[in-house]
Amino acid sequence: MKTKWLKLALAVLMATAAILFTQTSFAQSAPKEKIAVVVSTLNNPWFVVLGETAKARAIELGYDATIFDSQNDTAKEAANFENIIASGYKAILFNPTDANGSIANVEKAKAAGIPVFCIDREINSTNAATCQMLSDSYAGCVKLGQYFVKTVGKDGEYAELLGIVGDNNTWNRSKGFHSVVDRFPGLKMVAQQSGEFDRAKGLEVMESILQAHPDIKAVFCGNDSMAMGAYQALVAAGKDKQVKVFGFDGADDVVKSIAEGKIVATGMQFPKTMARKSAEFADEYIKGKHDFPQKVPVPVELVTQENVGKYGDYGKKQ
Amino acid sequence: MSRIAASLVAIVIIAVVCWLFPLFYVVPLKTATAEKTAATFNATQFAENFWTNQLLVSLDKAVPAEKLLPAIQSDAAAAKKKFSRSVGLSENYFYFLRGEGKIIFVSDDEISLAITENSTNAEIVLETGLVFGDAVRDGTGLLNANDYANSQDFNDISAALNHIVETRVLPKLREQAKVGAKISFVGCAEVDDEPTDLKPLKVIPIQTEIQ
Repeated sequence: MKTKWLKLALAVLMATAAILFTQTSFAQSAPKEKIAVVVSTLNNPWFVVLGETAKARAIELGYDATIFDSQNDTAKEAANFENIIASGYKAILFNPTDANGSIANVEKAKAAGIPVFCIDREINSTNAATCQMLSDSYAGCVKLGQYFVKTVGKDGEYAELLGIVGDNNTWNRSKGFHSVVDRFPGLKMVAQQSGEFDRAKGLEVMESILQAHPDIKAVFCGNDSMAMGAYQALVAAGKDKQVKVFGFDGADDVVKSIAEGKIVATGMQFPKTMARKSAEFADEYIKGKHDFPQKVPVPVELVTQENVGKYGDYGKKQ
Repeated sequence: MSRIAASLVAIVIIAVVCWLFPLFYVVPLKTATAEKTAATFNATQFAENFWTNQLLVSLDKAVPAEKLLPAIQSDAAAAKKKFSRSVGLSENYFYFLRGEGKIIFVSDDEISLAITENSTNAEIVLETGLVFGDAVRDGTGLLNANDYANSQDFNDISAALNHIVETRVLPKLREQAKVGAKISFVGCAEVDDEPTDLKPLKVIPIQTEIQ
């Protein structure tokens, strides 16, 4: 009798172990859900940090994550979206190339049931993306404009390097800056040209501006890549002590240049914060939460030679 | 002959189709410009309507300074939680407040007020210089970024509201402010750096009255 009970207990134990083993094996072999990270360009270290951080956070949260580079080209971005939609991704963390041109791509993903979380750059629609996490570029450039007047003074000629003209960030930064600087009639903008958020283009545009306006006192650049390009042009022309350079982004090389007294100030965006938070929102969406605010502004902080010690590695030091 | 007739019939058909479904319209330049302007968001007009029809009728929603200041004094974090509002992931926050006080100092850009009875310290500073930033737009909670597809429009509202403060509120205030006078005010304060922005609290005035 005892043997019979022992046999039965052993059988139950073995069956339970078998079920558990099967379930574990199944869970281990089940493919992970996928999240796509679509970045406007990987030709700029700031966007590389944005994309890599989003990918890393998605992986931490248990997903397979892949970065797609749109190379600042809406057509390439559209092709990336076609590929993503066809490949069964569960969410897209998206840094758009164009505020208007990218809307159709987001709408296609939405129609396919894939939520899109915009990071840093905006699309001009409030019902296509699930959520847009955007740097408050305007407020950041109001602060930069105030610091510009404080350090450059209320008189003198200056130039502005704009970003990509189709991007809202370009104009939010420019308008924030001008909402302050234009109040001082002694400050005269003698040149305003697009450097397309690109370092080489920024250098090239700065060289031509210096030829036409050799007496400028400062240059405001819509991002840090252009600020580095402009600074390079100023060094080559022997004018790096005469012309004060202001950037925007909080890129590591510019933060270091501020510490070395080469560049005057930048606006620190927080790409890692935005990327991580967007990945977490996507995870929450996949797990069932569907109500997100359409726009989540992320603050921008002024980095100057006085407070540069607090910043580094694309954010604030802990 | 039949070829000519066929051609004529084809021309007539094409003419009718073009009449019914014109390939293009000729629009006078003036009309086209007017239509384009109408389609563009007019921040100045929006701010004007908002100021008159929403903001000025909501001033009673501002927290009384006699409640806010002691709350900040005893526990700034608790006061922030109870009375402030912030936007997105921002650590900055705003107070929408009203109160009465005595003018104790006047400079080109500031008017300092003592709020507590018998106080001689500046507890509130009304900013009377150039107005920058988003305190007036974001401080009241009456406007929401989610309602604007293009953030440029939302930012233009900020500049337009600041312009109204500069042109409508500040000139009269600067003209009438005298040390010793009693003043009532409603305004918005942005707190970016607590040690410098809370003591005293720096307020952009929306409405003031000197008694």
